[in-house]
Amino acid sequence: MIKEDTHNRPVTPSGLGRARLALAISAGKLAGASGRLLGVGGGTSLPGLIARRIDPNVLKSVVGASQARKIVITGSNGKTTTARMTAAMAVSNGKRVSHNRAGSNMLQGVTAVAVNFADVFGRLNSDVLLFEIDEGTMPLVMPEIQPDVVVITNIFRDQLDRYGELYSVARALDKTLEDLPETSTILLNGNDPQVANFGQKAKAKRLFFGLESTEVGTPVPEQSADIIRCIHCQEDLVYEVAYMSHLGIYRCPNCGYTLPPLDIAATSIKLAPDGEGPTHVEMRTPQGNMTLEISLPGIHNVYNAAAAIGASLAAGFEKEQLPAALVDIKPAFGRLEKIQAGDQTIYLSFVKNPTSFNLILRLIAQHPGKKHVLLAASHTIVDGEDFSWLWDIDVEAVAQGIADVVCSGNKPEELAMRLKYAEIPVDKISLVEDREAALDAALKNAGPGGALYILSSYTPTNELRRIMQKRGWVKHTWQE
Amino acid sequence: MSEQVRDTGMVLKIGHLYPTLMSVAADRGNLFSIQKRCQWRGIATEVEQIYVRQTPDFTKYDLILFHGGADREMELASRDIQAKVPSLIEAAESNTVFLSVCAGFQLLGHYYKPFQGPELKGVGLLDFYTEGGSTRFMTHMALECDFEQTGKKVLVGYENHSGRTYLGPKAQPLGKVIVGWGNNGKDGFEGARYRYVFGTYLHGPVLPKNPWFTDYLIQLALERRYGKVELAPLDDTIENAAHDAALQLAMEFKGTLSAIEATPWKR
Repeated sequence: MIKEDTHNRPVTPSGLGRARLALAISAGKLAGASGRLLGVGGGTSLPGLIARRIDPNVLKSVVGASQARKIVITGSNGKTTTARMTAAMAVSNGKRVSHNRAGSNMLQGVTAVAVNFADVFGRLNSDVLLFEIDEGTMPLVMPEIQPDVVVITNIFRDQLDRYGELYSVARALDKTLEDLPETSTILLNGNDPQVANFGQKAKAKRLFFGLESTEVGTPVPEQSADIIRCIHCQEDLVYEVAYMSHLGIYRCPNCGYTLPPLDIAATSIKLAPDGEGPTHVEMRTPQGNMTLEISLPGIHNVYNAAAAIGASLAAGFEKEQLPAALVDIKPAFGRLEKIQAGDQTIYLSFVKNPTSFNLILRLIAQHPGKKHVLLAASHTIVDGEDFSWLWDIDVEAVAQGIADVVCSGNKPEELAMRLKYAEIPVDKISLVEDREAALDAALKNAGPGGALYILSSYTPTNELRRIMQKRGWVKHTWQE
Repeated sequence: MSEQVRDTGMVLKIGHLYPTLMSVAADRGNLFSIQKRCQWRGIATEVEQIYVRQTPDFTKYDLILFHGGADREMELASRDIQAKVPSLIEAAESNTVFLSVCAGFQLLGHYYKPFQGPELKGVGLLDFYTEGGSTRFMTHMALECDFEQTGKKVLVGYENHSGRTYLGPKAQPLGKVIVGWGNNGKDGFEGARYRYVFGTYLHGPVLPKNPWFTDYLIQLALERRYGKVELAPLDDTIENAAHDAALQLAMEFKGTLSAIEATPWKR
């Protein structure tokens, strides 16, 4: 679907600068290729790391020379799937897309787009450059990209130990929007009381996306909700409906702060009752209404679709071609990814904060029968050191539906303890730190023809996926 | 836990201060820990949530929980809590047990002066003040506590704060730092206590993986109402494993500046 085309493009840097850029890109490409050959990684961030060492301006030079539409997708949750949907919409519009697809969204991973897709002269042959960027990395990357469209999906509490408090992340992110030119578009989640207020000082055009249906959601936000107070006067917000965490239709009873009129809005949402089937959505857009069938289940994917449609329209793609892209979209790596393991089925979910954990727990609770579960968490730079958030997960709400759990990763004791305090019987909990042994133990629990649900933080998800790849159950991430 | 637990007839009354406003680091795990460890011993718990603008008589609680929040929430809590000060002090003097964490801990002191912005007034229940620093102390942490009733014990958790706390003569530290920064990164102490008022920077949350400390708080709180109490032992295999794993992890960071810089890259 996505090709690494490398043909005729004008070159900007000259002389020494050009030589250095060429060297940076070549070295980066080589690093990626050898990583793939050795099977140690999908060439997701190493090429970027190497290339930046040689030429720190590699990303800026390559992106700056390209005439392509540049779309940036950031926020706490939903980046990868929104980017995937946007890429599919671009492709259905006949566009050539370069995209950091493997979810490698820190500085090195973003730079890898330039390295992987450009030729050695730094020329890109793409119509669309799609960047999925970690919200904490945005202040570093934004000046190098100057995007045409920026999407902010939401801001949830996520790895506090890495980025400090929620509000400082939000402030820094909001600040990056100020330098965008008038010709750019900022797409904001109107259901997020904090994000909806972003871009007040921005010159760029602001558009809001979100949900405005009362067929889904709950009357009050869940426990893990972060912002339930008015961002202006600190009064507790009143919700007409809460969709997930603090996202919803809110109003401040004191100062009247409420969500802005939504430009892209899901006005009718019919979720599949079994937690697996497609969602049927009516979407209002500035270019008229659309009827959508979204193959990925759950309310969060309605948000992802709304954001992707907003980004596509802002980037000038044809509206008529967009719905087709959502009909057969497959889950991204580790997003309730359905994997056939012989006669058994594995649902693999990458979870990183209470919001994503709760979403997945609620979705799989709709699947029939008692669940066999494998949980894995590790403390590393990318996963975060502080696992307090495990106690914000509503395990209690789903404990009755759980048959047994294997806890793995390098933090299995903490997980097991969390389950014990949710009254999951201790004899149903086992601790197996080794990922492969844990996978086998959990598959044994699931029994012949059974289903296994894996919920895992970033590093163990990769580790487990690599084991499944070795067994021929899944492909390499970079082959998708 | 499935076997029948004999009802002791005892009730532990818990006041949970600002349960939504001050809950940044999943500290509700502390409440879960107390509730479950009581339930498993046939001790009933009653929890009252205390929000802004409410001024209950705090002496009716045996145990009060007051957790962390970001600066913005802390500012709100600081303003609101002034109306609660006399009753909070009365409760502390009548042996109510307090567990305060992070921003909640800071607000039990005299004041918190952020790195930027106006000073936030505290309750003054614990004799200390806090000043904001330009860097954050973020690391796995272990400290040695030595209480009369428990002897020397190790407390483990995670600290994440920019405030530097300096104790006055009337507050004792909660413990001695084994690994981590503690109150101010200089004097080697962490947290504070006065009577049965405990304050700490440790979250993670602190109680689940320090069952000995949870039981100590439960016991002190029950004894306020029922006199001498013996707590029935529980099987703490999982809790102690989590405690030991956290301690081992903390020891890996001993002598380093921050958890983030010190984390080895693990495949």
